Amino acid sequence: MPRIAVDAMGGDFAPDEVVKGVARVSLESEIEVVLVGASDRIQALLDEGPYNPELISVRHCAGAIGMGEDPYEALRGRRDASIVVAARMVADGEADALVTAGNSGAAVLTAAKNFKLIRGVRKAALASVYPRETEHPGQDVFGLLLDVGATIRCDANELAQFAIMGSAYARRVSKQPAPRVGLLNMGREEGKGGEVLVEAHRKLRALPSIHFVGNVEGNDIASGRADVVVAEGLVGNVVQKLLEGLGQAASHLASQAANDNWRWRLGMAMLAPGIEKVRDMTDFGSYGGSPILGFERLCIKAHGRSSERAIANAVKVAAKAVRDRIADEIAEAVAEIR
Amino acid sequence: MRGREARRVDAPDVPSADPPAVVFRWDLDKTYLRTEFESFRRLVLIPFESATDKVNLPAVPQLMGALRRAALARGERPWVFFLSASPPQIGAEIRKKLALDGIEYDGIVFKDQLRNLLRGRFRTMREQVGYKLGELLHARRQGPAAREVLFGDDWESDPIIYSLYADVLAGALGGDRLAALLAALAVDRESIDRIAADAEVLTAAGPSPDVQRIFINLERRTPPGRFRVFGRRLVPSFNYFQTALSLYEVGLLDAVGLGEVARALHERGFRGERLRNSLDDLVRRGHLEAETADRAILVLHRDGRDLQSPGERTLGARAMATMLRLRRRMARSGSAPDAPTAIDWEKVVSEWMATRKP
Repeated sequence: MPRIAVDAMGGDFAPDEVVKGVARVSLESEIEVVLVGASDRIQALLDEGPYNPELISVRHCAGAIGMGEDPYEALRGRRDASIVVAARMVADGEADALVTAGNSGAAVLTAAKNFKLIRGVRKAALASVYPRETEHPGQDVFGLLLDVGATIRCDANELAQFAIMGSAYARRVSKQPAPRVGLLNMGREEGKGGEVLVEAHRKLRALPSIHFVGNVEGNDIASGRADVVVAEGLVGNVVQKLLEGLGQAASHLASQAANDNWRWRLGMAMLAPGIEKVRDMTDFGSYGGSPILGFERLCIKAHGRSSERAIANAVKVAAKAVRDRIADEIAEAVAEIR
Repeated sequence: MRGREARRVDAPDVPSADPPAVVFRWDLDKTYLRTEFESFRRLVLIPFESATDKVNLPAVPQLMGALRRAALARGERPWVFFLSASPPQIGAEIRKKLALDGIEYDGIVFKDQLRNLLRGRFRTMREQVGYKLGELLHARRQGPAAREVLFGDDWESDPIIYSLYADVLAGALGGDRLAALLAALAVDRESIDRIAADAEVLTAAGPSPDVQRIFINLERRTPPGRFRVFGRRLVPSFNYFQTALSLYEVGLLDAVGLGEVARALHERGFRGERLRNSLDDLVRRGHLEAETADRAILVLHRDGRDLQSPGERTLGARAMATMLRLRRRMARSGSAPDAPTAIDWEKVVSEWMATRKP
């Protein structure tokens, strides 16, 4: 069984929700977890709920990196920060993967500092899983968007590598034999988007190992047209934040309207079970976390606002990715095109 | 015999505590046996189970055997009693199961549920505190005045019953206060009077060795923090390796016995990491000294079981572990591990009853 190092002090609701999530995993699976953080605090939290101690160990460290801290500054000289200690455990082979709900920048930087890039991979990519429509039965209700912030600008080769990595991940984790890969662009025509995107399109079209469906536009992201959407970090990050913001705005507008008018309120009450179902289906907590792809070692970045459920699912995703040998799959796919 | 609801079986002629003795009292279901009474179907099937159908919890027979041998090696007479709320009708198969597991014992008490049923005493059939506490005190009066170790689980009321019993023996509880607590616990008047009388006799006899440890098997995975109110005398344990470690620390189990328990668990699928995690958990919860943990790791290593975690192979992790140990030791300095904790019984009972309200 895989051994997962979890940054117990990372996240808006850490360590409470992180520890509870790990306790939950210990009762629901055979995954072994190492909680990295302030051991006294961790044990006090474990004591208050059910857990299986046979599957949980604790690695004490005193430091932690706050969600609002500048990652470069925060990581400087902070060797005892929980995320750093957890990453070192993974790098040293004491654990098979890292899960953190902490500061995204710190997660990417720590991974970059401690993990080796897969041979041939030029840049790692931070992926993001998002809810979307499905076009055919069996299609995953979550799509994969990468990169969302590990890079800023990329060249065509790097975008092609992101496509290969995302495709390999979706193949294993979403159990789709040939995930559809799209390149995020300002139009579907292959000549759109400038030199880098045109070149990336040409390269992706020529790759036999991936199912490239061409350029996808902003309005395609939420459809099931592509299972993996590739973008450079700057654009991907803007899209990710936009998707989150839209969801929050829609929810806010609906409750505001319901407050203003009793008919709306009644309508909302009648729709409540359906809304709840959709919310549950699209809740980031149900997929847990997204991978940082391109390293020999695996890191799953859970959402900063992760609940117990989200953390539990992130740990399960990490264990599945280890079992499915995602890093090897990516290495093989990258080697094929070298 | 007074109007008791229990039927005693296999009751031996117990002399006073000469030679020195140690008493081990065990619950049966969920403590020694993996009895499944969660569903009505399983409950109905229990009387029809043969001895070979009954499954013991991992490493319990080995622990019982090792405790007996260790006591004899120390020159102490080990007394082993079982106290169960199951009916005596299943006694024959239980005795066969004990024989199959090679467990030597000195007595078993069952609850005469048939008699309660025929008399229409339905509340008594479900009542645990009055029944078990009454039986424990009665057995103590008849048995050796020796130190005791109690084994129960988190399914019914073992933690509260055993702790009440321990406090009565320690002279910390009795008289009107005990009677009021039992009344609050919904124990019937007849049982309260009997318990109070037995408690008075035992207290009047003067100080004697009391309960050294209470082990609660967390079969339901009850959060261990909930038992903190009972003090450090009560050790909530997730498996019998944790129980064995605690017994090893207080000298009731020797290194050979600890190895036997670890081996038995290993045979039931507990790999080295699981044992190690269990050990560390017990240390973090404050129920095992780090020094004992180190000794246990060494002992088990000699026995061919590697409990060293991967992190301990690095210098940094070893230094960190040493620092943590020192910190824990400093935090605990001034309070002996076995110092009795004064239990706030009124609060405990009120909270206990609140969790039992429908």
